[in-house]
Amino acid sequence: MKKPLILIVEDDAWMAERHARNLEKAGFRTRISPHAIDAIVAIDEMRPDAIVLDVLLTGSTAFALLHELQSYSDIGFIPVILCTNLATEISIEDVSPYGVKRVLDKATMEPDDLPAAVRSVL
Amino acid sequence: MSVKREGRKQLGVGLFDGQVPPLIAAAHELKSPLALVRQLALSLEAGDLSPSESQRMLRQISLTSERALRLTNDLTRSARLDDAMFTLEPINPQQLCEDIVQELQPLFNAYGRNVRFVPHRHPLLLVGNRDLLRRIIMNFSDNALHYAESDSAVEIQIRAFNAGQMIRLGVRDYGPALSSDMWKTLQSKLAKAPQSVHARPQSSGLGLYVASQFADAMNGKIGVTRHRDGATFYVDLGASRQLSLL
Repeated sequence: MKKPLILIVEDDAWMAERHARNLEKAGFRTRISPHAIDAIVAIDEMRPDAIVLDVLLTGSTAFALLHELQSYSDIGFIPVILCTNLATEISIEDVSPYGVKRVLDKATMEPDDLPAAVRSVL
Repeated sequence: MSVKREGRKQLGVGLFDGQVPPLIAAAHELKSPLALVRQLALSLEAGDLSPSESQRMLRQISLTSERALRLTNDLTRSARLDDAMFTLEPINPQQLCEDIVQELQPLFNAYGRNVRFVPHRHPLLLVGNRDLLRRIIMNFSDNALHYAESDSAVEIQIRAFNAGQMIRLGVRDYGPALSSDMWKTLQSKLAKAPQSVHARPQSSGLGLYVASQFADAMNGKIGVTRHRDGATFYVDLGASRQLSLL
């Protein structure tokens, strides 16, 4: 069976690398996008099974990407996990209409938290 | 992709579109490097890494800590600008920029990026404070590091304008363009400085706020130019007349 593909949208290369490693250790395939524009192309081409999304990104914020995703019926259903330092300022109720299933706090999360969150939304 | 247009509430508006109190901005700005250092340390604790991977991550921890420390040092310097004694003197910006490039190279290399200095054709002298100017350029470069595409170099540039009376030191990055909305916000906030300026979305703008304070203290000003493929953050300072007297 093909391993689920997780798109990591994170502009800090070293943090993205940590996320990828933690997910790959847990049996997922990963692809990293450093900004929203690259992410849109990657989503269109690769149809990931889930998206791990930082909020404050290069070029435009995660919210612009979430709006964009919701504009397309065939990709709007992909589950999104926000993984951000702003977790305490984001309510899941506000973002769930945009496909966001979980919000993780980058400042306090443990290495196993991200794979667990991804498993919970697949 | 199949288009599905729906009216929805604007997300994200108001999150960071107002003035951020300095203490909150400082806390936010420090959270990113600290969160990264913690994740790296947790990975090292897990202990399933090769010696070379461990070595690389230790290097990432030290470089990330240095970035966070630079910010705290800038904040301290900024808070003490009024009572601190600093001299304005003629400075050779080319030498300063070369020194900065040398200092930043290890950090850029570790991120797989490059930083280079684009020298001016003729020797220039400006009036400023070497320490404050260095902090401004380091700050702009740090900002650019995050936004530069991996295969591009960040350039530190110098040019004279206004018939040679002003000198501009700019840090040019090649990355995603600033959106029009972001550009308008940035322009209006730069015009109203000193106040919190949104450098790029990732930043609360604290770095630019501090840079604008340092520039003010040297009778200069900071600004930004948008390009199709990135941005140039710059500081303008008066040229020294010493060269013309020679």
